Amino acid sequence: MAVMTAPANTPVWVDKDRCKACDICVDACPAGVLSMQADPHSTLGANIEIVAIDACIGCNECELSCPDFAIFVAEKSEFKFAKLTDSAKARQEAIEKNGYRLPEDWKEA
Amino acid sequence: MAGGDKTVINAEGKREVVMIGNHLAGLAAVDSGCKLFGGYPITPSSEVMEYLSDALPAVGGVCIQMEDEIGGVAVATGAAMSGVRAMTATSGPGISLKAENLGLAQMAEVPLVVVDVMRGGPSTGLPTRVAQGDINQAKNPSHGDYKSIALCAGTLAECYTETVRAFNLADRFMQPVFVLLDATLGLMHAKAVIPTAEEVKANIVPRKKFEGDPKDYKPYGVAQDEPAVLNPMFQGYRYHFTGLHHDAMGFPTEEIETCRKLIDRLFRKVDEHRDEIESNEEYMLEDADILLIGYGSASLSIKEAVNRLREEGIKAGMFRPITIWPSPEERMNELGKQFEKVMVVELNQGQYLEEVQRCMGRRDIEKLTKTNGRPFSPQDIIDKVKEVF
Amino acid sequence: MAFNYDDYLRLEKMPTLWCWGCGDGIVLKAFVRAVDKLQIPKDDICVVSGIGCSGRFSSYVDFNTIHTTHGRTPAFATGVKLANPDKHVIVVTGDGDALAIGGNHTIHAARRNIDITFIVIQNFIYGLTNAQTSPTTPQGMWTVTQKAGNIDPTFDACKLAEASGASFVARESVTKPKKLEKVIIEALKHKGFAYIDALTNCHINLGRKNKMVSAMETLDWIDSITMPKSKWDKLPEEEKINLLPTGILKQDTKALEYTDMYYNMIIAAHQGKRGKVTQDDFEKKI
Repeated sequence: MAVMTAPANTPVWVDKDRCKACDICVDACPAGVLSMQADPHSTLGANIEIVAIDACIGCNECELSCPDFAIFVAEKSEFKFAKLTDSAKARQEAIEKNGYRLPEDWKEA
Repeated sequence: MAGGDKTVINAEGKREVVMIGNHLAGLAAVDSGCKLFGGYPITPSSEVMEYLSDALPAVGGVCIQMEDEIGGVAVATGAAMSGVRAMTATSGPGISLKAENLGLAQMAEVPLVVVDVMRGGPSTGLPTRVAQGDINQAKNPSHGDYKSIALCAGTLAECYTETVRAFNLADRFMQPVFVLLDATLGLMHAKAVIPTAEEVKANIVPRKKFEGDPKDYKPYGVAQDEPAVLNPMFQGYRYHFTGLHHDAMGFPTEEIETCRKLIDRLFRKVDEHRDEIESNEEYMLEDADILLIGYGSASLSIKEAVNRLREEGIKAGMFRPITIWPSPEERMNELGKQFEKVMVVELNQGQYLEEVQRCMGRRDIEKLTKTNGRPFSPQDIIDKVKEVF
Repeated sequence: MAFNYDDYLRLEKMPTLWCWGCGDGIVLKAFVRAVDKLQIPKDDICVVSGIGCSGRFSSYVDFNTIHTTHGRTPAFATGVKLANPDKHVIVVTGDGDALAIGGNHTIHAARRNIDITFIVIQNFIYGLTNAQTSPTTPQGMWTVTQKAGNIDPTFDACKLAEASGASFVARESVTKPKKLEKVIIEALKHKGFAYIDALTNCHINLGRKNKMVSAMETLDWIDSITMPKSKWDKLPEEEKINLLPTGILKQDTKALEYTDMYYNMIIAAHQGKRGKVTQDDFEKKI
């Protein structure tokens, strides 16, 4: 397992090699930043995707709840995170309703 | 407390004490630098713990009575894993309970002294009476393949000296070492001549330590005839203990070669250094024509029987293994070729008899056995010798 | 907030062998964060784990670690602690390991109030061996050894720990990782036996056969059966039995700790530094 590297100027980043596609981080996010996506090369046929990186509010819930060290969030002091918007909440709801996957036909409000 | 109020240093510089065998085992632990004892009350071994409950804290050590036998061996093994000398004591039923953890100590190569004060068995058996019925158990208390080391005290003084030897052997071979006493010796209250504490201390051989860079440390990555080198905890060398098959750092593995080599090494580390472990007593064998084999307290009656037989002109002699396991195979094989008349005398149904037969390659070995909790009188042995030879 | 766990992990042993979505990893991370917050040196820590999925915990953390026989963690940990009184000894165990086969040792380690942090990864099943009933599997659930439905009643392990004498008792679940981290910090700071019931999801063995096929469904179920203690206290009795109170349930900082007692009372008495221990030394006379 590789040592974690923190990319500069990024609110949230994932290590796809470590992701076991459990959906927990997608559920934990309040802002619809994350989504599982079909991936034929992954063990469970799915892997984590960051679908709305600019909406990340830096709450860190995804990192706290990931059992596999696969997702990390920047320090609040190092990055200017977004505020939680209604459209972000709506997207999150849609993701959760669709089995933790962003609907293919999703249109931003 | 040590030696009661009758301790004396004799002309040879040895200590003369009047103590029971169980207390002598406890004294040996203290003199050997034992830091922690874990146990549980069980007849006829409780006095070991009772003695240590005073003697260990007096020197800054810890004696803890646990909630059960398993707790007793586990607390001692945990302490030993952390790097200190540790001991537990019990009788047959307790060894049965401790078996699983003795297996862990074997697999993870943890030094531990296990005193077994044997009593009538099986099961609850005869708690206050003597037997030597744990011989096979001492060889294989736990499941799987490993090589046991078991010492058997045959005199009151050996309750002390064999326990001292057990601590050094445990550290040398990194595994549990049995010290077999029995109800007779454990509670025998008489004079014993033993080394002084200073002498014992000067001869303590602690476990090997790795002194290099922690990055280069491989606790279980040792030669195939050597034990693991397990540094004490909390000193910068972090590794893993497990009962699973493991690699050089102690982490679980199922790799084919690693697993094969581990078990191979658990045997070879003992087998290829038997000279460091073997210890026997040969009594009047030079001109004997009858060979009596025995160990433990039974050997005291055998010796007396040999003396009385000799008075009658019957030339008997005794071979007494002090290290019971691994057995003195080579020596017994030689004796089997020298002596036509061989008899094993033991307080069980013939557990060591099987080993003697195996070592000598003979099926005509005579036996005198007893399992009713009574010791052999010298006359028992004399009568049997006359009957069969 | 990009906490780097790597320094505390044995990276060559990762990824963990736990199933996808298994909350054991969340407990692992909360524990590592707690140790880091308290800045406890790695060399001063010993982690003892038992047999089961929780047993693999000790091989992932870069401390002095022991993987013991089934159920015996409290006894091994007691040995490490008594021989090294100033070090931190943490047990990570499971509901089967600590409450079934190891029940006796758990009770007595709590009774002695020995300074050990005792984390029970409570997943309501025997996970590693594939879904046998554990002492906390709810009645009526399906297990492989009770395919007609489990009739074995459960008990409240926190009450057991408290009654046995633990001076710190807490319960949190992996659905609240920050709260879990907080109780672990408090437990590590606490001098005495600190019992933590860490509820986690075993959706692979418990969940899948009991209508909770995914990690999220099992976690949602755990959320549904827990409630913070302050709220739980106000419920009518008939509602209380179906909810587990969470938070710090007991915290007695005055209770005498075993290692302290042994070194400052027993060893001191035997070395003539104080008189014999008598009933006057204790508040409790029975």
